[in-house]
Amino acid sequence: MASRGGAALLPRASRIKQKLQSALEASVLEVEDVSYQHAGHAAVKGNANETHFNLRIVSSKFNGQSLVKRHRMVYDLLGEELQSGLHAVSIVAKTPREVGSN
Amino acid sequence: MARSLSNMVLKGLSSLRSTHSSRAISGSFYNSAMRYSTTVTSDSDTHDDFKPTNKLPSSGLSVQDVVEQDIKENPVMIYMKGVPDSPRCGFSALAVKVLNEYKVPLSARNILEDLELKNAVKSFSCWPTFPQIFIKGEFIGGSDIILNLHQTGELKEKLKDIVTEANTENSG
Repeated sequence: MASRGGAALLPRASRIKQKLQSALEASVLEVEDVSYQHAGHAAVKGNANETHFNLRIVSSKFNGQSLVKRHRMVYDLLGEELQSGLHAVSIVAKTPREVGSN
Repeated sequence: MARSLSNMVLKGLSSLRSTHSSRAISGSFYNSAMRYSTTVTSDSDTHDDFKPTNKLPSSGLSVQDVVEQDIKENPVMIYMKGVPDSPRCGFSALAVKVLNEYKVPLSARNILEDLELKNAVKSFSCWPTFPQIFIKGEFIGGSDIILNLHQTGELKEKLKDIVTEANTENSG
């Protein structure tokens, strides 16, 4: 029922959410579109829609992973989006324990 | 949550801004850029207008070799959008400001001017976005990570011996 074509019609924010949620089983997942902050940006040509996002992810899948590894995990999941106009994401990637101790 | 993060970033930025100018960086950047452009400018037949601003020197190195050489020879190497004095992206600006705090010699390349270089760096690090920072040959990450390492004190640790070298040279 949920065809690929249907998924592509979803806003990028929803696709990002789906992809991260299903792969990382995040206990916290915030996806904030901040593209408006980058309108007129050197690399954003005219179309400033859904190019920049802030992500905040809490997932036990990050346990024991360095920051670089955590970011790579997220980037890997967003590969298609990065190919199709997603320009940059700001990533906060924490484990449940790191959040609990704050 | 997002607000508290941005406050944190802004707080970090303002403290950086108040303590240090970009002077130290611009010096080392232009030194490094000079190294690659002298052969062109010394040619009397060559007008500045025809200087290839977007190309690496024709030294026979492939662009992959240039990247490898960059990160091997420069203790702190940043591939960014724009130049340290005039970043063309907020993330690159943030990374420069963080590194600037440590007064280490910073070598930079502007990936906006060379698509081939940009792609070579991306495939070298397997990292899709810029800036990208390398310290002593090690891939560090982008602006989120450099800011995080700055805040946790890990960056100071990583840059310690580089800072010492620079101070030793200057205090002679």
